[in-house]
Formats: sequence, structure tokens, C-alpha cells
Amino acid sequence: MKLSNRITLLVSIVLVAIILGVSFSLLLYVKNATLSLSIEQVQRKQQNLRTSFSEMACFYARTDDSDAVHDSLIKLCFARFSDQYGVLLRDGTEMVSSVVVDPSAYVPSNSEAFSKGTPVAVTVRGRNLLIAGSHASVGGRSYDVYVVEDVTEVHSGIRRMAWIFAGVSVMAITFGAMAVTLLVRRSTKPITLLSDAAKEIADGAYEKRVEVRTKDEIGSLSEDFNRMADAVETKISELEECNERQRLFIGGVTHEFKTPLTGLLLHAGLLRWAYLSENERNASLEHIELQTAWLERLTQNLLKLTTSDDEIELQSIYIPDLLIEVKDGIEPKLNECGATLSVKCETEMLTLNPELIRSLLNNLIVNAANAYDADAVEKPITLTVSGKTFSVADRGRGIPKDAQSRLFEPFFRVDKSRSRKQGGSGLGLALVKAIADAHGADIIVDSEEGKGTTVSVTLP
Amino acid sequence: MKNRILVVEDDAAIRDAVLLNLQFADYDTVAFDDGKKAAEALESDHAYDLALLDIMLPGMDGFELFGLMEQYSIPVIYMTAKTDSASEIKGLRDGAEDYIVKPFDPLTLMVRVEKVLKRVGKWNAVYRVRDVVVNTETHTVTKDGEPVELQPLEFDVLIALLRHKNMTISRERMLNEVWGFDYLGETRMVDVKISALRKKLGLEDAIRAIHKIGYRLEER
Repeated sequence: MKLSNRITLLVSIVLVAIILGVSFSLLLYVKNATLSLSIEQVQRKQQNLRTSFSEMACFYARTDDSDAVHDSLIKLCFARFSDQYGVLLRDGTEMVSSVVVDPSAYVPSNSEAFSKGTPVAVTVRGRNLLIAGSHASVGGRSYDVYVVEDVTEVHSGIRRMAWIFAGVSVMAITFGAMAVTLLVRRSTKPITLLSDAAKEIADGAYEKRVEVRTKDEIGSLSEDFNRMADAVETKISELEECNERQRLFIGGVTHEFKTPLTGLLLHAGLLRWAYLSENERNASLEHIELQTAWLERLTQNLLKLTTSDDEIELQSIYIPDLLIEVKDGIEPKLNECGATLSVKCETEMLTLNPELIRSLLNNLIVNAANAYDADAVEKPITLTVSGKTFSVADRGRGIPKDAQSRLFEPFFRVDKSRSRKQGGSGLGLALVKAIADAHGADIIVDSEEGKGTTVSVTLP
Repeated sequence: MKNRILVVEDDAAIRDAVLLNLQFADYDTVAFDDGKKAAEALESDHAYDLALLDIMLPGMDGFELFGLMEQYSIPVIYMTAKTDSASEIKGLRDGAEDYIVKPFDPLTLMVRVEKVLKRVGKWNAVYRVRDVVVNTETHTVTKDGEPVELQPLEFDVLIALLRHKNMTISRERMLNEVWGFDYLGETRMVDVKISALRKKLGLEDAIRAIHKIGYRLEER
């Protein structure tokens, strides 16, 4: 069941209970008040009748009156006051009666009500009657004085009033229920809006927001909802971007693998199927060896690149020692191609991951060495550490302006054939960038074509 | 006249293998490892029947080089590692005759090369091996100037051997190329045709049986 319907139903039930309860108790109160009023009237009437009758009868009655005279006097006195409602009995026999019922049948002279003069309500042939009676003594003889009052009108008036109450209640309930429905609809409408928006977002419309500006809990829920939707949208687009980068990277990796694989396949085919001379066979084997080594380097670097994303361990390192290790490790390679490395260090301790930073510096130094033309007379490279900044500078070819922004993309090469010949995997600078990112370091490339390049990495 | 083929490929391993395969099949070859160098050389020498171009080239890429090829009406086959359809469509819409996706096997490359040459009408119809001359247009074979009668299937087997000269052809591949479908279990058919060819053309030592694989027509 919908929340709005449930609330409507609940409120309506409460409304019905309240209206019915109020009108019922009101009706009951009015009925009791009316009835007790008429009972009081009847009681007073009976008392008046009895008192007036007995006083008058006692005043006129003489002890020497004959029975006939006495009876006539009694009847006269009673009739004088009884009006249309009195009944007088003597020894159970009716003497004067203006009504058709026999009151002694309903209120016998020995009953408690009779002794107190309390009215008794009875229904006779569809009429509501109040009967009150009591003793009166005249001339040593006992009389029963009754008052019979027809209160049918009072009862039917109460019944009429009950119908009016019922009608008013039904109307009140109907209007009340309608008002409740409208109110509930109005106050649950924002919830419906929220629910619709949530559905749309779930179906992929991440830019969807709700416009609820109420100042209640639903309003603040909507604000929170929109904030959540913002977060989801940002996360999703981040994920999509990441996915796209991943896709491009995998595309790059595949492309990069295809070239050595083609060479391997072709030369393996030649060795297996072709009639080769000794020289050709050796050349093929050499190609296979080189291509395999290249594939090996490629996979090594890929592995480093993917693992450098993980949390890294930082240590406090004495920098001059680290630089000596780097220099010793790379010097043989540099000597081979005629490059010279000079190291300047103005820093003592830094917090970093020594293995990764060694790898970063190695890559930068190899790149610097490769920045010179093969036949260059001098190939000076300087490695400087000052403050928290590592800089590697060369005076080689420099990097064209339009290539500088793409420098750190995996497999991007400024000069494809030269890089390939020098054994580059196309991942060196991507690795440098990944290591710098893992340390939270900034990289700045300052390069001018024909003048040289300086790459600076600044730790945070 | 042998067909002359230009190869522009920057990867030495691929370039050497392709050249070797082309030379085995009796093509004259000229190779470059750089697009710009190839373009410069074309100015003075552009008598090529076909160009095999890598797309990602230093200096000048394969698509750029294609403009020059068109100018000298040299048909082009791209050798590309790019499998995304965008580059294929661009390459072929620009009028390249064919493309072959790396990694590829040499026999497929040879078949593509021959098909393109035939389609553009530059196919050199004459094969020579020792004193045997085979004309694929007139379907005639001469040995030492004297005509030799060959059955149609014998002729086709000879062409298959010549097309992949110095390369081992398995019996299965031979069936596939000559009979046109897999003739499983009937590889002896090949042996019969080969022995007839050896006898009729005096190529007993040139057509070598490669143990458990097939045959190879050797001439170095």
C-alpha cells in the first residue's frame, strides 16, 4: 500500500472515531439532561398535586360528613388541581382519572418509587409515560395520588436530534477525509518526486536532481539526495574516465606487443620453412633474440607501472649515498655511449622510497643520454638535488613544444624510430610519472629545441 | 623483368623477414626504414610495381606516403598493427589495394602481393628456375628452349612451388592452393604430381622432399 494511502486511511479512522465519539457523548448528555429535566418536572407536579389536594381536602372535610359527601368533596378537590394528568385511587380503586392507563399497575403503592414519590418511565402502547405517585391522608383515609405524564414528544425529539447528529457527523467525516487526502497528497508529493528521481538515476540519468524547497525533513532529505546524486555523478564520470584511460592503455600495450610479435613470427617462420644460408639463419636468430629481449623489457616495465599504483613505503634516506648508488649503477651504460654524469647534492635527508626514486632517476638519466645525437662529441648530463627537488639536465636535442604535453603518456615517443633503436619501451617517462604520483611529487619539464632539456621532480 | 617492390618499414626484424620472403619469390626489392627517406628517394626512382607500407613510420607516416604513391601510380598494401576499423577504412577509401594486419604469416603476404599485382595488371607472368621457363599467361613451359607438355594439375603444383620458392610447402597447403580445398587423406596425389614434374623437367635435386612435411623448390 502506498504511504500516502496508509496515512490517509489512518488519519481518516482517527477522524471518524473522534467525530463519532464526540457526537455520541454529546447526544447522550443532551438526552440525559432532557430526560432528567422532564422527570424533575413530573416529580414536582406530583408533589404540588398531592400537597394542594390534601391541604384543600383536609380544609373542607368534616368528620361527620357522610361517605357520599366526603367522596364528592375529595373528587372536587382533586379535580380542582389534577388538570389533565392526575389519577386518584383509594384502596386500589380509581376515584378520579383523566388518563386511560392504570398507574397502579406500573407503580404499585407498595413499591419503593411510590414511597419516595420518584417518577418511573414506562412505555405503554408505543407511548413513553412518566408515572409518579405517593400517599395522601384525608380524614383518616388513605389516598394514592398519581401523575401520569406523556413524554413521547420528548423522546421523539431526542431521536430527531440523534438523526441530525448522525447527518452532521457523516458530512464532517466526508469533508474531513477529503481534506486529509489532499493534505497528505500534498505533503507526500516530494517523496514521489524523490522516488521518481532515484529511479531515473538508477536507470543512468546521473545528471537528474530533485527540486524540493520545503523547509521540513523532506526538504533536507532532498538536499542530501541531491548531494548524493552529485557524488554519484562525479564518481561515475571518474570511473568512466579511468576506464577510458585503461582502454587506451590496453590498446597501446597490444599495439606495442604486435611489432615484436610480428618480427618473431616472421623469423620463426623463415627458420622453420625457408631454405636459408648460414648468414641468413644467424640474422634471423639474432632478430628473434632482440625481439624477445625487447618483449621482456616491455613486460618488466609494464609490471613496474602497474605495481607502482600500490601504496608505497617511505623511508628517511641520506641522499648523497642514494646518488652514489645511482651513479655507480648507470655509469657503465653511459660510458658505452660516451655520456658523462656530474652530480651535485645540497640536501642530506629526504623521505622517499629509495628503490622507486632510483628507478625514476635512472630513467631520466637514460633519457638525457639519448637526447644527444649518437655522434655528439660531448654528452654532459647533470643530476642536481637541492631542497626537495631532483633535476636531470642535458644539452641535447630538446623536445618540440607540441610533444611536451604528451610526454608522459604510455608509448608516446617523440621520435619513434630513434627510441626503438635505443631500446626504449615507450614506458620510461610513464613510469617516472607513476613513481612521482605515488610520492605526490610534481614534475616540471623545461625544454627548448636544440638547447636541451631539464626535468625536475619536486617531492611534497 | 622481375616485379620490383618497395618496402617501407621501420622495424628491422619485420623489414628483413619481408624482404627475404619477397626475394625468395623472385621479386626485386628496395627497402627504407623512414618515411621521409623513402619519399625523397621516390623523386629520382619510382619504377615500382607495388609498395608495402607500414602506417606508423618515422619521418612521414604511411597515409602521407600514399599521396606520393598515387602520383606515381604505385599500388599500395599497408602492413599495420592498427586493428581499429577507423584506420582500415581511411586506408582503403584512399585507394590502397589491400592491407595486412600484424602479426601476419609470410605465405599470406606473398599471396596478397601476387593478387594485387595481377589485379593492377603488373604481374610478371614468367617464372624461371634453372633452365626451365614458366609462362603463366600462355600456360607454356619450356626446358632449355624446348617446350614440355604438362597436365593442368602438374602445372598448378609447379606454380605453387615457384610462388613460394625456397619455402617449404606442406602437402596440405599444396592441396589447398592447387585443388582449392582440403583433400584430406589424399596427400599422395601431391607426391604423384611432384614425381612427374621432377622427371619431365629434370628438377630431381631442385625439388627437395622435406621429411614428414612436404616439398621445397630450392634455388640459391
